[in-house]
Amino acid sequence: MIKKKKIPEASIPTASMADIAFLLLLFFLVATVIDVDTGLGLTLPEIVEDQVEVKVDPNRMAAVLVNENGDVLINGQVVPVFQIKDMLKSRIASKNDLPKNKKMIVSLKTDRKTIYNVYIAALDQIKLAYFEVRDEYSNGKYGKKYSDLNEEQQADVKEVVPIIISIAEPEAVKK
Amino acid sequence: MHFEKRRANTKTEIPTSSMPDIIFMLLLFFMVTTTMREVEVLVSFKLPEAEAIEKIENKRLVSYIWVGKDKRVQINDSIVKLDEIQNIMYNKRTELPNVIVSLRVDQSTDMGFVTDIQQELRKASCLRINYSAMIKV
Repeated sequence: MIKKKKIPEASIPTASMADIAFLLLLFFLVATVIDVDTGLGLTLPEIVEDQVEVKVDPNRMAAVLVNENGDVLINGQVVPVFQIKDMLKSRIASKNDLPKNKKMIVSLKTDRKTIYNVYIAALDQIKLAYFEVRDEYSNGKYGKKYSDLNEEQQADVKEVVPIIISIAEPEAVKK
Repeated sequence: MHFEKRRANTKTEIPTSSMPDIIFMLLLFFMVTTTMREVEVLVSFKLPEAEAIEKIENKRLVSYIWVGKDKRVQINDSIVKLDEIQNIMYNKRTELPNVIVSLRVDQSTDMGFVTDIQQELRKASCLRINYSAMIKV
């Protein structure tokens, strides 16, 4: 009679599996970033009692007007919303070498009945124009994108290309 | 008479091989049931889309104002009137001097209303604002 050879039980130790699962769980708990708020930042002007009117050189001023139908007017010229960026970019870049008080100001003015979505789209275009000018400048000087620069270099680029956006109060709609 | 003890030679170990599955089930359960939102949003709104988006690094500084399709304004957990914004925001500012106000405004709102809110914020001297927007793909 041939005796069957006893096969040794082959098993993976599973007792530590739970710990591994816990480690995974902990890793994800620590590593997850929940819902980062994104948007377009802006600083409102302070309320001043007696306003002083300052004359601004029309050369450093770009007035972007948006009416209630969503039509955009830049310095008297009608342009589609997505072209605002290209219109402004060259003008912003041309002021790079000028002193601080001669940089470009972009003024955004809307109507009271303008839809918020269009306003955001226009503001977005203006910001994009500034960001792209910053990127181009930092690429030319440091060979890197603005976001990859260190703080000192970023401050330098900010000095050369400051973002000046003026949000004008909307005019009341004439009835 | 000799009685044999019943189940004398059964193993007394607890089977641990299914433990990870149980833990995974737990993990999944919590993943499904957790809601990340701290406040319940009472207004319905659809955010606009934008490309030149910045992230707010410091989440603690952010305070939200929701504006719904029906022009209702929500701060914290309640619907407020336009003229109450100033007081509420002023109190918030005294607690957190450099508060960032995130405006979650529905995209079909008219600018007149948004400006009114901004004026209230200026009066409350909450000057750092952020127009909340989704990333345009």
